[in-house]
Parts: sequence; C-alpha cells; structure tokens
Amino acid sequence: METISYRDAITLSMRDAMRKNPRALVYGLGVTDFTGIFGTTLGLEKEFGSERVFDTPLAEESMTGFAVGAALNGLYPIHIHIRTDFMLLAMNQIVNSIAKYKYMYGGLFKLPMLIRAVIGRSWGQGAQHSQSLQALFSHIPGLTVIMPSSARAVLDAYDHAVNRYKAPVISLEHRALYDCTFNVSEKRNSTPLSSHLVRKGRDVTIVATSIMVVDAIHAARFVKEKEGLDVEIIDLNCLTHPNREMILSSVKKTGRLIVADTGWAPFGVCAEVSRLIATTAPGILKAPIMEISMAHSPCPTAKTLENYFYPDMGAIVNDIYRLIFKKRAGKKELPSEEYKKRLYKEFKGPF
Amino acid sequence: MSTAYEELFRQALRIRMAEEKIAELYPSDKIQSPVHLSIGQEPHAAAVIGQLRKGDEVFTSYRNHAVYLAKGGDMKKMFAELYGKADGISKGKAGSMHLCAPEVGMMGASAIVSATLPHALGAAYAFKILRKKNIAVSITGDGSTEEGVFCECLNFASLKKLPLLFVIENNGLAIHSHIGTRQAFDLRKLALAYNIPYLNSDEGFDMTSIALKMRGAAARIRKTSTPMLFEIRTCRYKQHVGVSEDFDKGYRSRSEFNKWYARDPLVHNKKLINKYRSGIEKEINNAVDYAEKARFPGRGELLKDVC
Repeated sequence: METISYRDAITLSMRDAMRKNPRALVYGLGVTDFTGIFGTTLGLEKEFGSERVFDTPLAEESMTGFAVGAALNGLYPIHIHIRTDFMLLAMNQIVNSIAKYKYMYGGLFKLPMLIRAVIGRSWGQGAQHSQSLQALFSHIPGLTVIMPSSARAVLDAYDHAVNRYKAPVISLEHRALYDCTFNVSEKRNSTPLSSHLVRKGRDVTIVATSIMVVDAIHAARFVKEKEGLDVEIIDLNCLTHPNREMILSSVKKTGRLIVADTGWAPFGVCAEVSRLIATTAPGILKAPIMEISMAHSPCPTAKTLENYFYPDMGAIVNDIYRLIFKKRAGKKELPSEEYKKRLYKEFKGPF
Repeated sequence: MSTAYEELFRQALRIRMAEEKIAELYPSDKIQSPVHLSIGQEPHAAAVIGQLRKGDEVFTSYRNHAVYLAKGGDMKKMFAELYGKADGISKGKAGSMHLCAPEVGMMGASAIVSATLPHALGAAYAFKILRKKNIAVSITGDGSTEEGVFCECLNFASLKKLPLLFVIENNGLAIHSHIGTRQAFDLRKLALAYNIPYLNSDEGFDMTSIALKMRGAAARIRKTSTPMLFEIRTCRYKQHVGVSEDFDKGYRSRSEFNKWYARDPLVHNKKLINKYRSGIEKEINNAVDYAEKARFPGRGELLKDVC
C-alpha cells in the first residue's frame, strides 16, 4: 500500500503543476521563505526561477486581481494564502472580477487559475486564523470551490485544475489534514471536481467536507465495530459542483442524513445539502436531517472553549445513534477521550 | 495641420458623435443600461490610445465608450450591446459598463472603480516574463487613486519593473464629490514615492501634446520595462450617469464647464468637423441600424458561460 501525507500530496502537486505547465506561476506571501507554506512550496523557486515562483507584498486585492491579467495572457496563476482569512481582503477581486469575467463578457474570456488557502485549527488559532469560509465563496456563481479531504483528492483535483480545467478554482486546505497520511494506491478519480463515494452503507448517509470526512470515517468504523451499523459516506469535495444524484440516491437508500461540515451551519453547507433534499425529495427522509458544524460563534482561543467549538467524531457517532436508536441512543457507548486521542495526532503549536 | 492630428481629431469626433447618438436615443428606452458618457473626455482618449499597438492591452472602468472605440472596438457590436442584443459584443450580458474587444487589446472595463488596475498589473507581468514587447495600460479616473489597491499596484509595478502605464483621467469629480473633499495627497509625489516617473497634461483637449508625451512614454516603457504614470486634466460634460447636463443640481458650476467648452476642438474646429462629419454619421447610423435589427438573447443564454 502506497501512503503519502496530505502535505506531501500538495507539495508534489505544486511541483507537477510547474513541470507540466510551463506557464504556471506560484506566488503568495511566504511561498519562497524557509517555511514554504507548511513545506508545500519549498524548493520551487530554486527549481523554476523567481519569475515563476515569488513572494508578494502584503496586498491581497492587487495580488488577486493580478491573476486576472496574468490568466488573460495565458499564464496559469496559483495564488496561495497561508490562512483563508486573508482572502477576505481580496473579496472584491474574487467576487466582482474573477467570478464574473467569463459570464459578464459573454464567454469571450476564460480565467483558469487556482487559489489555495489554508484553514487553521487548534493551538489557539482564534477568531481570525481559523475560518472555514467555503459558504461565502460557493454562494457566488462562477467560482469552483473544492475542499480536498485526502491526499488522493489533492493529487487528482490539482492536476485537473492546472492542466485541463479552464475556470477559477478555490481550494480550501485544512491545516489539521496536513499531517494525516492517506492510501494513494487506489486509482485516480475520474471526476476530481465532483463528489466522491468514500464508504458504502445502508443505515445512515453522511455527507461531509474536508477533515469532517476523516472524522466521519472514524465514526463509521466505531459504530460498525460496536453496533454493526453500516454508514455510507459521501465526500462532497467540490462544493459548487456536487454530485446531486449520488447524494439523493444514497439518502433514498438509507433514509437518514447527517451533514458534517467544517463551517457554520446557517446559510452554509449543511443548509445547502438540506435544501437539495427539501426541494427535490423531502419524502425520502425517515428522520430529520442532523447537522454537524462549528458552534455559531467566532472561534475562541482558549483550549477548553475551542473543544466545545469544534465537533469531532464523537459528535458524529452520537448523531448516528440518535438517528438509529432514537430514545435509546443515550444508553449507547460513545468513543472515549483515549480512543479519540489514539486516532488524532494532537496538533502541536505554535503555528 | 498634419495628417496625424487629423486622424486623432476624426477619432475623437467619432466618439463624440457616437456618444451624442446614445444621448439622442436614450429617451426611447431602447438602451436599457446605465451609460456613463465620455463626452468631454474623447480627445485625450484618442491621443493616448492612438499611440498604442494592437497587442498592447488596455483595462479601464465603466466610462469606457471612448477607450473601446479608440482602441478599435467594433461600433456596430457596441450599439448592439447597449441595446442588450445577442449580436452585441458580449451577447447583451455586459451592457454599457463592461465593453471589451480582446481582438484589439481592449481587455475589460469594471463598474467597480479601480478593480481593473491589478488586471493591468498581471497583463504587464505576463508581457514581461513571456518576453513580449507589449505594454499594459490602465485607464481610470481620479477617484481610483484613492482606493487602497491603487497604491498596491504602484508598489508592485515598480518593485517588479513592469511595462505598465497608469493613465489617470482627472475630471475632478467622483460621481458628485469634488476632488478637494476627497484627496489629501499630491498624485505626482505619490507616484514618485514609488519611483514611478510622473507625466501630466493640464489640457485634455491638446491632442498634439498628449500624443507626443504618450508616444515618448510608450516607447520608454517598452524599452526599459518600467512603469509610468500620466495624469490628464479633463472635463466630464454630462452627469455622472445618464445623458443630461446637471448644472442645476448645485454641486458644480456651468462657468467651469464653459471654460473647457470655449476651447473644445470638437466644437470649434468647424473645418475638420465638416470634413469628417458625414462619414462618421454614416458609420453611426449603420451601427444603430445593426443594433435595431439584431435579435435579443433567448432564455437559453441565461445560464451559459457561468463557469
């Protein structure tokens, strides 16, 4: 079995992008420093030169708008933000220019580009270094938003985006996934910009994003072992272009749905997946939809509060039990803290 | 009078007459798009853009009719676009504020003041690293220099030595707000602070002088791959948006306008006006006719080209 970390999958993808596409650029604050965006851009400047790989001023709007002019002239910009929160400084360009350039000009222009941004988590990242803003971006027509949940998803999506896809892609990478290792021996996914069936099951459907896919997998294993339940997991993966048929047919089969997202529930992924069911096939549900999301507050810094803010696989197990066992759910065994600790390598700060 | 001047004059007059035709048609409601007319600002547009090559790229804001026509955009398609027709430049999806003509290097126009500045930055960067001998030109108004992204772009253009010209059309107004209520800085000093050479013209109607300065600037930028900034004083004759005068609204006086009008070559050079008017009228009438006859986009167009 060939395994690789999420971080190494990104690093490989960046190098591959630069090798395969001589017009690709990698730029952003810190891409050429000694930390190289958590290691994912290390060595690129040396190999491909400082015209194609460069550090930038602290100027998110201009550096994002820069991608428009570059893409219009045949370059493939890969712009990297070490924290997703910084993208808010570039919303004018993302929403008013990039998302609309093709449509507004009647298809005369295309803007192939990739914006990578990292979602921080834990060790006191706090309110402005931890946000999962996928709902903001996915709301805007014209953007393609992905949240790769595994090394395989990274390898497939980035290669496709850089070498074949002709539109702007925003990829939100979860920092807590960087040190996770994944099996990459399975074959390439033929639809890298859509949803993926991660696990087959007949009892409950979980539609998840990003690191919540990993949590869902852990939860599914736990309830299989303890209660013999079979959970089906769909990795939403491409939030703007989900496989709606896959979700509908899964929920039709199981009748029970949990949506697990790294963002806030109101107006977010949970709301969107629920909308899909409510507007197309409300009758297929045997029970109300359960939503797993962040507490609807800014992210607190103190560890004790942070633990309440982030749901984990224990919350997913709890929701599965509530859906299946209803009133008897309280009597079922939840994963202990020790069990969970064995699963997650605790993230060590400071960054 | 030189042939070069006559060509600039003819281009400026052509833009003026096209704009006046839009004003004439506007009450009919056939043009269902907010228009920001370039009347008063055509001479410098013709003079600046007349010195560019086809492969040089221009990015501008919503007051873009002059830039579009001067860069070589098709007039028929422009009128059809204003009419919201499928045979318009962008199938009626752009309207007046987002004209473009990629085939001649008019790369887009934004309704968000200053949004196109960094687009020109990226184009200039592409020219530089792809070893093309083209230059990028950003044309925006005085209001755009107040946005944060303006300074970001000056910094990066200078830092990376990009073949980029910032043209600032200073008509002293941002919608209805006077420059004095908006700016505490001196644009020349601001450009120089970023090591960007500053050129200016206080007379937007002096096509000969502007063309001369522009020719020098374009050659220098092309040769040295370094940015420059060219500020041109001009006068917006009409209201911010729409086709009327608005001197009765109290925010600006007719006397300032009268000073500009008194020396407007497109009003006073009867000889050249008479020489070119009928030919231009014919072109404009053909364009309007084309727009009138063109079809509207159908339902199937609504969700096309989103992504």
